[in-house]
Amino acid sequence: MWIRVVYWVLILAFQVLVLNHLDFSAFVIPQVFIILLISMPLGWSKITQVSAAFGLGLLADLFVSAPGIHASACLWLVLLRVGILNTQDIKQQIASKMDYDVKSVGLNSFFYSSVILVFFYHFYIFWIQNIGSLQWSNYVLTSMISSMLAITLIGILQYLTFQHRS
Amino acid sequence: MQRLLAFIEQNVHLILFGVLQVVCGFLMFYLNPYQQATFTHSAATITASTNQLTANVTGYLDLKDQNIKLQDQVADQFRNSPVAAFHFLEDTLTIRDSNRVALFDIVPVQVVYNTANKGENIFVINKGSDHGIKRNMGVISSEGVAGIVLTTSARYSSVMSLLNLNLSFTPNINGIEYYIPIKWENKGVNILRVKGINKLEEIAVGDRVKTGSSTVLFPKGIDIGKVAKLTTKPSSQYFDLEIETATDFRKLNYAYVVINKDINSIEALLENVD
Repeated sequence: MWIRVVYWVLILAFQVLVLNHLDFSAFVIPQVFIILLISMPLGWSKITQVSAAFGLGLLADLFVSAPGIHASACLWLVLLRVGILNTQDIKQQIASKMDYDVKSVGLNSFFYSSVILVFFYHFYIFWIQNIGSLQWSNYVLTSMISSMLAITLIGILQYLTFQHRS
Repeated sequence: MQRLLAFIEQNVHLILFGVLQVVCGFLMFYLNPYQQATFTHSAATITASTNQLTANVTGYLDLKDQNIKLQDQVADQFRNSPVAAFHFLEDTLTIRDSNRVALFDIVPVQVVYNTANKGENIFVINKGSDHGIKRNMGVISSEGVAGIVLTTSARYSSVMSLLNLNLSFTPNINGIEYYIPIKWENKGVNILRVKGINKLEEIAVGDRVKTGSSTVLFPKGIDIGKVAKLTTKPSSQYFDLEIETATDFRKLNYAYVVINKDINSIEALLENVD
């Protein structure tokens, strides 16, 4: 339990202290902290998942002074995650209440879910942030770059975690 | 009830999701100035569009009532206009209302049946003898002459359309009365003909053709149509005129029956003279 809390705090700190200040561009900000939602334990109830997503989103919002944006995106992400997981054959992992990660469900399933969720998340928050004056080329470009950067970092984190556990 | 409870129990996470999304929406659009401005602008745009749509729909549904009101207004204007009155003492300096006697009254009507594709076209109006309408009264549209009342029942009347082979008028063109009948010859909808007008007459395409003094069914100066074409043969001394009717009989929905209030005494007088 404590390990999980520390892991969550570390990832969140990495996001708000490092990734939010990369200064590549005003928009290219990979949202890596969503790995915490993507890899939530499969044993958690849906209500717990939704509540956790809302709480984590609000925390992320606190550090960017934009209340509601990440919370809303996290809620959608969790709902989409539930839908995606329903299409995957992971009954055994659910029964074992394992975390949803590369080790438990395999690279293909995890990569498939992560790509969809990460792209969705970035497209959603950049859309909300620029709602009303969306420049499509900039929007698509920054969402794509941020998403790909986030997927890369999530991959590295998964690799490090995998190495640590084994 | 049990099913409902089971459904709620199964989907309680969705209900929680919805509630939290509403909270997020409030936070996003209330606490973030940029999103708030966008939301306010979008809301105003949507409200304006909705109001416009509502106004369009209401306006469209209200068109019939508005048409009837307009018809009444036109009727009032007609009653108070010089066209409907004989002028006396026009050579004096002061013309008071008491010097003007309204000869004509009009009754607004709606056309409930109409033909324009036969030789003897008629249309039916939604008022009859109960409304004071009698045989041989003139009928006009907002644009001009439409026909003459043929028969009446209590609530309806049939009107011989201007597009009827049996109807003819004496045209008044450029203020001059031409005692040659203007008739419909079933050679095109809304096209009347006048045959045998002397080439020396100053008539040109576009001249207005109106009712003159040779009828007591209509006030003088009501549009019949306009000259659309002048035809002649080189060897002939006469014009044939094609007159485009002022009234478009394919779109005739509203009309007015013209009532000459003194027609009996005028006709009696004319009979005595004959």
